[in-house]
Amino acid sequence: MRRISVDIGGTFTDCFVAWGQEFFHSKALTTHHNLSMGFNHALDQACQSIGKDRREVLGEVDSVRYATTLGTNALIERSGPTVGVLVTAGFESAIPLSRGRGYGEGLDALAKNDLSSGTRPDPLVPPRLIRSLRERVSYSGEILMALSADDVRRQLTGLIDAGAQALVVSLTNATENPAHERLVQEIFLSEYPAHQLGAIPMLLSHQLSGRKGEYVRTTTTIIDAYLHSTMYHALSDLEQNLRANGYEKPMLVNHNTGGMAQLNSTDALQTIHSGPVAGIAASEHLAGEAKIDKIIATDMGGTSFDIGLVTVGGGKHYDFMPVIDRWLVSIPMIRMVTLGAGGGSIASYNSLHDSVQVGPRSAGSDPGPACYDRGGLRPTVTDADLLLGYLDPAHYAGGKIPLNPGRARFAIEEAFGDYLDLDPVEIALLIKSEVDDQMANGMGMELRIRGYLPEEFTMLAYGGNGPLHCCGIADRLGITRVLAPPYSSVFSALGAGNTNQMHIHERTIAINLFSSATRQLFENFDLFNSIVEELEAKGTADIVRQGMDPLKVEHRLELDMRYGNQLVTLAVVLDRSRLYTVSDTLAIADLFSREYARRYGEGSQSPEAGIRISTVRVASFIQGRSIEFGALAPTGELSRAIPDATRMCRFPGFADPLETPIFTQSTLGPDQRIDGPAIVTAESTTYLVEPSWRMETADRGAVWFIKNKNSGVETDD
Amino acid sequence: MTNDRTPYSPEEQIKVDEFLAGATLFLGPDPEIMRDHKSAARTPLEEELLSRPIDSDALDKVRKRIVAGLDEAYEMMEQTGAAPGAKWGDLTSAVYSAGGDLVHISSGGVLAFASVLHYPVRFINKYWAQEPSVGIHDGDAFIHNDARYGNIHCTDQSIIIPVFHEGELIAWVATVVHEGENGAKEPGGMPSSSESAFDDGLRMPPFKIFERGVLRRDLLTFLQNSVREPKLQYQDLKVKYYAALRIKERVLAVIDEVGRDAFIVSMRKSLEDVEAEARRRVSLIPDGTYRVNLWSDSTLRENVLLKYPCAITIRGDQMIIDWRGAAPQFLNRAFNSTLGTSKCGMNQGILAFLWPDLPRGISVMNSIEVLTDTGSCLDPTDDAPLGQSLQGAFKAFATTQALWSKLTFSCQEKFGAIIAPWFNQINTFLFGGITQHQEFVGNVCADLNGMGGGARAYRDGEHSMAPFFAAMADIGEQEIIEEDVPFMQLISKKIKRDNQGFGKFRGGMGYEMALAAKDTPFWGFAAVSSGSKFPATPGLFGGYGCPTLPLAKIKGVNVFEQMKNSPENWQFDFERLLNEQPLPGAKYSTHHMGMALELANEGDIFMMCQGSGGGYGDVLERDPAEVMADVEAGYISSTTAREIYFCVFDADTLAVDSRATEAARNAERRARLERGRPYAEFVEDWVTEAPPQTVPYYGSWGDDNSTIHATAWAATGPIKLALPMSQMPPIMLPDPKDLAIAGLQAENEALRAAASRGDA
Repeated sequence: MRRISVDIGGTFTDCFVAWGQEFFHSKALTTHHNLSMGFNHALDQACQSIGKDRREVLGEVDSVRYATTLGTNALIERSGPTVGVLVTAGFESAIPLSRGRGYGEGLDALAKNDLSSGTRPDPLVPPRLIRSLRERVSYSGEILMALSADDVRRQLTGLIDAGAQALVVSLTNATENPAHERLVQEIFLSEYPAHQLGAIPMLLSHQLSGRKGEYVRTTTTIIDAYLHSTMYHALSDLEQNLRANGYEKPMLVNHNTGGMAQLNSTDALQTIHSGPVAGIAASEHLAGEAKIDKIIATDMGGTSFDIGLVTVGGGKHYDFMPVIDRWLVSIPMIRMVTLGAGGGSIASYNSLHDSVQVGPRSAGSDPGPACYDRGGLRPTVTDADLLLGYLDPAHYAGGKIPLNPGRARFAIEEAFGDYLDLDPVEIALLIKSEVDDQMANGMGMELRIRGYLPEEFTMLAYGGNGPLHCCGIADRLGITRVLAPPYSSVFSALGAGNTNQMHIHERTIAINLFSSATRQLFENFDLFNSIVEELEAKGTADIVRQGMDPLKVEHRLELDMRYGNQLVTLAVVLDRSRLYTVSDTLAIADLFSREYARRYGEGSQSPEAGIRISTVRVASFIQGRSIEFGALAPTGELSRAIPDATRMCRFPGFADPLETPIFTQSTLGPDQRIDGPAIVTAESTTYLVEPSWRMETADRGAVWFIKNKNSGVETDD
Repeated sequence: MTNDRTPYSPEEQIKVDEFLAGATLFLGPDPEIMRDHKSAARTPLEEELLSRPIDSDALDKVRKRIVAGLDEAYEMMEQTGAAPGAKWGDLTSAVYSAGGDLVHISSGGVLAFASVLHYPVRFINKYWAQEPSVGIHDGDAFIHNDARYGNIHCTDQSIIIPVFHEGELIAWVATVVHEGENGAKEPGGMPSSSESAFDDGLRMPPFKIFERGVLRRDLLTFLQNSVREPKLQYQDLKVKYYAALRIKERVLAVIDEVGRDAFIVSMRKSLEDVEAEARRRVSLIPDGTYRVNLWSDSTLRENVLLKYPCAITIRGDQMIIDWRGAAPQFLNRAFNSTLGTSKCGMNQGILAFLWPDLPRGISVMNSIEVLTDTGSCLDPTDDAPLGQSLQGAFKAFATTQALWSKLTFSCQEKFGAIIAPWFNQINTFLFGGITQHQEFVGNVCADLNGMGGGARAYRDGEHSMAPFFAAMADIGEQEIIEEDVPFMQLISKKIKRDNQGFGKFRGGMGYEMALAAKDTPFWGFAAVSSGSKFPATPGLFGGYGCPTLPLAKIKGVNVFEQMKNSPENWQFDFERLLNEQPLPGAKYSTHHMGMALELANEGDIFMMCQGSGGGYGDVLERDPAEVMADVEAGYISSTTAREIYFCVFDADTLAVDSRATEAARNAERRARLERGRPYAEFVEDWVTEAPPQTVPYYGSWGDDNSTIHATAWAATGPIKLALPMSQMPPIMLPDPKDLAIAGLQAENEALRAAASRGDA
């Protein structure tokens, strides 16, 4: 297999090339003004390793895939077009009001709770560009008030005269009956034909999201319209660049659903967060290769700590109403939780409880931690790690960022000296302990709320600071195995290379699987099966449109279910795709009951309140060939690695510094064992093996951290 | 009267106490518990443990882990709760010390629970621990809702679970949800027409619903029989119970990890740290007394004027909140608020606005004394109805929030923004009836969460942002709500034009809503708000208060038929519907915002507007560009721009004539000076000895809070009273319908008499 996968991030463009049985990876700075330049630069580095030029490589690969976080940047920079919106009369302020809570979406708990200062973000669509149509459709799709063509023309003219460069139509209950949205489009195209220069794109809400909820569906459509041209131009330029360099096949774009598609089958919104989501996809692939049932993937970088779940056989973990930047939207997106701590998180004194606090503020990369010597005055997690001896001042980030321990010490003294009668190194220990604890709390909550026990999980640690803090975090959760994956510095790019063509179609529908009022079980199997067939047909069509074999298309059927009038539904993956008898109905009820009990506790189920299906969802996909790594665990006899040097380091729970062996990753081969405490330095990260842990190396740079069964005592577990 | 009885000997006293304990008729709300809002002093065990060296960082980790467990339970309830309140954020989870002090609450949800949840736990400890028929055992769970035993109002239900560690009661955990329906006189759990405590619905003192892990189906069946939504009662009981079990699990895991002693010390230190910080912050406020007087214009049955005075005195690290002089309790009206509930309002003001960064626990109140008149509507007796106690509690909040900015304006260290008062009323509809799914429901619309925020000293307030009592609460999605209930909001989210607290920075505005029932055999709406004649919310430093708007009805036509057959008649606009009256044959009416459940025919229209936050500063200082932005958005009319903000502009282009505007504003400044009068002269003319005879006025008058003015109803009709609260007779007003009938009868009799006299 020959394949190129790329993750275009805010700072770096990561490239991963599978070339037969060999793998190559590279990094280049992202060139925002022309993404192709960064891509070409990164690819050229990989090509150099392969020994071929760019054109040769692109001519021979079977696919090029992109994951990117560019959409997020476009939102933050407000670089989208002027969007005008048409809504149902009486709902003009639904968007500005943002369900009341819009002031706090995407912010931390403290900001959410401070009503006195709460402020909504600047709107993507100001009130003057929101117009209403005199019409109304009921919850069941009945047209209560018919749309008037004259009214539509009047409002369209008003929006265009007001400067709208893209239009969104989001009418109440359009998911039940989209006739009015379609009629608006029809009138619009007759008045403003698409073939004319200056044609304005119009997006219909029911086409972007099949879910009910006038605010989230409209926001989804607005953001999609807002990002559409930016993403289209950026990705089209990339495609043109590929063509110019000899690549003739369609370019593939990773989606935040965990799937991917060609550019012509991709909504702008589906690309948001697709880079980090590709990291989860890579984790899922590793789980399969390493035969691990439950993985919690963690990406600890400079400013944040992202976590995601992979459970084999447990279905995908989606957010159906994720927050994008500061807005709640309605799209299925692989669930990722961002906890506000990374190497740049600022440590401060908590006068209330006489303790050390980390975050929520971050020094980011500019000015960065105090020890970067770039003007940062506040102590950060990285400053603490440096004072504890974990980081090599001369070789941090491959020697590109020299660290100044004096600055770190000074910053800690300044921040804590007046309050804590402790040496800065002792305070650094408290900072490390606090940040590890915070991350463990966040991970523990994320797992337990989904009914999982943290100790049953293997932790995957990537990102610049992941392997440095993973033992400390895992310890607190009872996790005994941590995998620092191969190619961790380009992990999302690697994931982008392993995703499958996938499309998700869903339909909101109120099905009483069991009606508490009539005590009847659902028996309208024809209705149910026809919906599934329709969704499967849509998914198949999406994939076939991209030149795939319809016979190879697989479908996964999921239902969103709830007891009675609960707000939030639970996604249940069905073990059958059609219903024929009441036994099938009961089987679904049982599946839901088991999933509910696993999550909320046995006995918490409430079938007596009625069992409802609110959404039928079909994920259609093709199992593509994936990049195989072979064994990710040591396969041979373990040998002890020889350290390059030793350094005195401080560790929580030890009163005195410990003499800590130092290793260099590039000198380590597979099947080597290092007992903690130990430090392994690599170009893009530092591996910290804490006391009572050991490290084992495997092929392709994969590294395992394993907790010894008895603290401080070596075991062969 | 003096007691001349010879004191009992110690032996006699023991026997008398034993006898009296055995002869207890009724374990009603215990004043010793209910009047004490502070956390208890250290126990001997805590004293001993705290005398040892303390690792503050380790304790902080315990604290964070407990709060993480509470947040986990909160999310569980929000996800699985069936009540609308649970769906839209009206819930919380909490941990208490073994003695019953509330120590930690979840990060989200209703933080006013911080001032109320400890009362029922203390009651259980005091009365049920040693009671052979009850007792407290591992696996037990108590249910509770009665505000008299400590709750915001009886529509909230809680599950309270003891946590035992190696046989020792070491903590309590609880979960609370605004459930809505509770079997009260009207569906939805907040009856505005409640005329006695017995109309308030279920009144559960804390009792055991799970016995050693087993649900008491007999009691559950009794509860289900007592409410209109038996399904909700059972489903959410489980939701609260399993969420509380989750907290218990997390607490025990923390204890297993850090040990029992560290857990106890962490809990105690949390209380003491918060108290110390609260005292420090009080001491930053300049000493003095700060005053405000607010009024409510409704008992929810009729228009009256109810006074809510507040004086906050700061002396060092002590804060005294004085609500004496408030209107008396009404024994047949629903707006009374227990002292504990009133303190919730105060606590809410502190934790959401004054010190929003402070951890939420009961000890934040330790530096505060509260003075009230027993028998007032903020401290009523146990027999007063409490069906709509939020009226009193929200005014208690409003009085304190109105003062925080004045207290802290000159403080160098501020913790919350300087902000004008938030809107403080429940401007939405309650509902009850049979749904399109043939189920009976009774509850409240999520629109109550859309209160307008106050203007800040540096920027405008946020429109319909959140209720002041629950950050991140949700006004919901109408499409989703319509799936479960048989009514539609034909006007759903539309900011009401000119519904603005004007000012240099304007308050956040509220939106209008028009509801109509459809496809139901039986449906009704109710409303529980005030402020249709007297502004519910004042402004700050020259800013205007919120406007007054009525509840409106359009009856006699089916709006759905109109929309289908004569769509041109229907207007999606509150103002146009009332002013233009476009539906032929319809009857249009406006009302105050207290409406007992009223049956709705299909297509009847019920309308209301969510309220606005107060404005900040002088309207003449508002940036004309901001005024024009509001005109362009349709938030204010051109008339308001001209006559309130004194902007001169082109009506077509909205271009401001800066010079003309400045001139108009200067002219208005001069006019103000000309209208102005010396203060003493103004007082001489304006101030009267007593309230006007024509106004049904309740509460103190002027600065004298020792005399309460009221209009009582005697057999002969209304009589005016001016008495100390302790001498005030029970205030009971006649049913407005009786008065209306009496008026009609009198009219009828007069007509008959005239007819018999042969008058023309």
